[in-house]
Amino acid sequence: MQNAEREASAIQPVESWNAIHDTMDRARSSMYVAGMEAILLLWGAIVAVGLLGQYAIATLAPEFASESPWFPAPLWGVLTAAGFAASAILGHRASARNAAGAASRRAGLRVFFYWLTVAGAAFAIPAAAGLWTADVEGITIGRVSIGIVALGYILFGIMHRPVLVAVGLGFATPFYLSSHFAGDAAMLISAAATLLVVALGAAWIRWSDSR
Amino acid sequence: MTDEAIVLNETIHQSTRLRIMTMLVGQPASDRLAYGFIQQTLRLTGGNLTTHLRKLEDAGYLVIAKEFEGVKPRTWLMATPEGRRAFAEYLANLERALNWRPAP
Repeated sequence: MQNAEREASAIQPVESWNAIHDTMDRARSSMYVAGMEAILLLWGAIVAVGLLGQYAIATLAPEFASESPWFPAPLWGVLTAAGFAASAILGHRASARNAAGAASRRAGLRVFFYWLTVAGAAFAIPAAAGLWTADVEGITIGRVSIGIVALGYILFGIMHRPVLVAVGLGFATPFYLSSHFAGDAAMLISAAATLLVVALGAAWIRWSDSR
Repeated sequence: MTDEAIVLNETIHQSTRLRIMTMLVGQPASDRLAYGFIQQTLRLTGGNLTTHLRKLEDAGYLVIAKEFEGVKPRTWLMATPEGRRAFAEYLANLERALNWRPAP
């Protein structure tokens, strides 16, 4: 009986070596994506609120919008700051359920600073490129910022959770298509598409984690 | 490379137990991992994980601590110094096994 069990579970040295590396990768990635499902839904809601807010201001107060082309900056600034605070709390809670100690704290800080860099770049790169001026249409800034955020999702997904690649492409593609072809309805279409994509992404994460 | 026999620790040299030990030893010595985190990361059933944890605990390679956070029970796992030593020795022997070539 013991011999049969030994034979059934016997592995070759090279399999052991591969298993060690695979497990280390998986453990690291699992720490980096702690709380991802809730955080993804949170950002879907934040982006939808931001896009709807921008649409509402441009529609209900067109004079203000044309006189103050910078208005999306404070709107997105406040939403992003609130989103980061909420994400940090969600991530910290999820991480504390997984592990206790220095490694999970370091993983949490790395993830936090990764996304802070992405968000900072989404604001700073258009500014550095001179796009925050009255001569430039707001949608142009949006196209650059969304591209940077989508790139953040794609890179993080390649490293840790492939479904995030699909999420990055999934919210950026409708934004670009609608911003070129849907006119005033672009923000509404993008908001709906973003909500749909993050809901599908979160459902996929929940489903694959429960398998 | 000599032809001296290479013996891999039987307790660790099993797919699931090797993965469990890798996760635990991969953390700093004072860190611990939740039972559920290991179960989810390694995609194991509760029964399977418990069986292998018991074997590793019996060998003195890990400690299992059950705690309550409010009303929720939580099980934490931590590699012992003995477990870390055994794993380091296992790795050294594994490396020797991988580099072993029969004498010409």
